[in-house]
Amino acid sequence: MVSGSEIEMFLEREPKFDDIMCSLQATSKQPKGIIKETKKVVALARKFNDEVVRPYSLELDKTVQEDPEFLAWDFVKKANEWGFYTLWIPKIFGGKGYCMSSMSFFVEEIASACLGMANLIGVHYLGVATLSATWNARLINKLSRETVEGERKGNPCLISLAITEPGAGTDVEEVDLVDKGDVTCYAEKVDGGYVVNGRKVFISNGHLSTWHILIAYSDLKNPSENTVVLAVKNGTKGFSFGRKERKMGQKGCPASELIFEDCFIPEENVCIDPDQYGTLSRSAKETAMQVIDYVVSGTRAGVGAFGTGVARGAFEEALKFALETEVKGKLLINHEWAQTMLAEMYKNVAVSRLAYAETNYANGMYGFYKTLQWKPTYYYTRCLPRFIADKVISPWLDKPRATSLMRKMSLDGQTDSEIHRTSGWASLAKFVGTDAGVKNCQMALEIMGQAGLRHDRRAEKCLRDSKLLQIYEGTNQLNRLNLFKCLIGRSYPQVAVFQE
Amino acid sequence: MIASMNAELKPFEDLAAQFAAKELSSKREEHDAYPFGPFFGDVLDKAYEIGLLGITLPEELGGIGRGIGALSVILESICRVDASLGGIIFATTVAQQIILESGSTKVLASVTKNAGNAGDFLIAFPAFNNPSEIPHLIYARKEKSKYILFGELEYVVLGGIAGHCLIPAQVRGERGYSFFLVDLSDKNITRSEPVLSLGLHACPAVDTKFNDVEGILVGKEGDGNLSFEKTADRMHVAAAAMSAGIMKGSFDEALAYSRERFQGGREIVNWSEVRMILSNMAVTINVSEMALRQACRAAEENEAGWEQNALASAIYIQGAACDLTTDGIQLLGGYGYMKDYGQEKRFRDAKHVQALLGMVPMKRLKYIERVIDGVDR
Ligand SMILES: Cc1cc2nc3c(=O)[nH]c(=O)nc-3n(C[C@H](O)[C@H](O)[C@H](O)COP(=O)(O)OP(=O)(O)OC[C@H]3O[C@@H](n4cnc5c(N)ncnc54)[C@H](O)[C@@H]3O)c2cc1C
Repeated sequence: MVSGSEIEMFLEREPKFDDIMCSLQATSKQPKGIIKETKKVVALARKFNDEVVRPYSLELDKTVQEDPEFLAWDFVKKANEWGFYTLWIPKIFGGKGYCMSSMSFFVEEIASACLGMANLIGVHYLGVATLSATWNARLINKLSRETVEGERKGNPCLISLAITEPGAGTDVEEVDLVDKGDVTCYAEKVDGGYVVNGRKVFISNGHLSTWHILIAYSDLKNPSENTVVLAVKNGTKGFSFGRKERKMGQKGCPASELIFEDCFIPEENVCIDPDQYGTLSRSAKETAMQVIDYVVSGTRAGVGAFGTGVARGAFEEALKFALETEVKGKLLINHEWAQTMLAEMYKNVAVSRLAYAETNYANGMYGFYKTLQWKPTYYYTRCLPRFIADKVISPWLDKPRATSLMRKMSLDGQTDSEIHRTSGWASLAKFVGTDAGVKNCQMALEIMGQAGLRHDRRAEKCLRDSKLLQIYEGTNQLNRLNLFKCLIGRSYPQVAVFQE
Repeated sequence: MIASMNAELKPFEDLAAQFAAKELSSKREEHDAYPFGPFFGDVLDKAYEIGLLGITLPEELGGIGRGIGALSVILESICRVDASLGGIIFATTVAQQIILESGSTKVLASVTKNAGNAGDFLIAFPAFNNPSEIPHLIYARKEKSKYILFGELEYVVLGGIAGHCLIPAQVRGERGYSFFLVDLSDKNITRSEPVLSLGLHACPAVDTKFNDVEGILVGKEGDGNLSFEKTADRMHVAAAAMSAGIMKGSFDEALAYSRERFQGGREIVNWSEVRMILSNMAVTINVSEMALRQACRAAEENEAGWEQNALASAIYIQGAACDLTTDGIQLLGGYGYMKDYGQEKRFRDAKHVQALLGMVPMKRLKYIERVIDGVDR
């Protein structure tokens, strides 16, 4: 019928089988425990929504409309009490070690009730992901354990990511653009570390975070080969907070300006820099892109889940309205057109969820959490007694050998096609989910008419909140271009991306 | 510009554009802060002084006696800068027109001719509903020659600032509904704080409770729907003009920003993907303008089928404005999401304006109902 070599050949044809069916390939390889853990965090999120999010989300939104300087410490403390800032930190780093893929299902739940609050929890993991993508075992261990300690003591220790600059947003997401861009955050190499000057803007959770994973450049003329990732703690001399942006939505989650003026960052807080790239098999520029891709492959799936969540929130508000409102003498839910609109909205949610779930499978097989979801590691870490993690593994993680090993496995060990697959899928999940989020909010308002315009009916807040999703983590245009680059253009030698 | 169809409209367009530039442009964010900042009462008084609150109201009733064309060009120019004032003009004009359609000129004169300021002149109205589509929560009972109203009505636009209010209510035992004019200073009316809403922040609405309040019947009992539909037919054009104005504002800002913002070593306007989005916006505006001009002309000249032109334009243009203002934010990236620029407000306002005069799907159904029933093409 078809020979082994033919199978190989045909499956290598575009669309490559490995690219299109990550879920099918993952099912047999994935540890079963993931299902149980995912169910548990979804239930936990629903409980949290009932007890904390829904009763407070409109009030928080209104409070920040009235007082843009307000910071949602009360909410962050609650989330900290519930253990959400360590839930997905691996056990070897002191966290609770829930499987990474469950996070997107969790944030979908929270986002369905309040996107701003989902961000207040989820964005911490953007910082964690960036730190982790440098595979600097010592620093991951150090910051993670501070977060764990912050949870124990009731002092939230959040981590933010600071990459965007006033003059460079899209540009810093792509190494092919950054060299042409107007980056100004300069990390000058000095004895014992770096001195940083520059500003970062729009940093989610900035004012609420203790640590900031800062992307700076040691040569502003050639940033793609000189990307420096630093961990900056509040209180470091030369580092201060600037303004909080006045946003349309997601008001509970501040977007902060971070200012660096002759800010000295010691060697021990350098997550990765050009000197360290030298030890890896890819060039500095390729490694910088790989680090970005590692981050966004995980976090863009998360943003897709945010979009899915808000699409669902809008759907749920519209459904509730249709169930209790009469239009032209009959319940809206019994108008056929309303039923098809609701079905369309349901479809938008379901398709978006499939897209981020597929990305999770890709990440579990080829990306960020490949090692953690490998059955032996998965079950070993589940059985690992806490004291061994703390007393035996933790000290080992502080040794340079641990970082080299992690980098060998995760950076050198990842193939180009694996990078493309995970990054391409993440972009797809991001724009599918976030476009669906905005669309469903618009539809909800159409179904609800006048009621949809009111703050107290939630739907208008969903719409304001949702729009941000099409912008951050790379605009949806940038994500379409990234999908093109990763999953379409890579097969054709005549293709040039970002160079028209 | 709609004014290009008719030279007589040009002065109105200029007047509104100048007014918007002088009174609205620089204070957009401040005005939008309401109810958490002060209300722009001073601007409203100026708008009243130059006649913007009575554009289609006959001169003998204190207005400037112009048609739907003038109303539309003025609304378009104002909403290009800030749609909240447009919302105020729209809501009070609907109320005036319903009273005129009902033939209750004297009732209207009692409000507009004696007004000493903008507040007195304004008539509040629940402009985001078609009263025939929703269950009535206000009832009227007749006591001798008087009508007494009781019940609750949500989202009465201008209810917190106007002297009077036009209320749809059902007379007990009757089919359909009727309109009543009420004096908002009546002690038996309870008004909420301004309702926090998506857009049009400076065009505030309140929830109201009527506890045996006297209302003056407007037109005949049970004829409310007739006057509403006649008014709505014409006012759809004005609503479409508001959305067209919002679209233009969004495009102006997106184009200007794209010319200045550098990414990837060039002004972003020089990325063809950015051009494609700008082009979609420009084409949408061009098509909308054509539709609006035609709808205006048809309505002014009472051409056969003008009502359908008006409704189709409103459905199309208001929907297009929601998509276009989404792109308007997108082209400014993160900055588009911030209050420092006007794009986020336009996005909210466009969606808000789309709900004027009732639910979008019901407007679509009405359009096709008329086609199927052969009432119109
Ligand atoms: C509320 C909020 C929270 C955020 N949180 C964070 C955070 O926690 N950390 C962080 O580092 N950043 C954060 N960001 C920044 C966010 O990632 C950027 O806003 C985003 O990447 C877009 O960059 P920009 O705003 O500079 O837009 P620009 O890059 O200036 O884009 C403007 C427009 O030009 C288009 N464009 C630009 N370049 C191209 C091109 N080459 N081809 C085609 N079109 C192009 C864009 O698609 C967009 O439409 C946040 C932003 C916001 C608004």
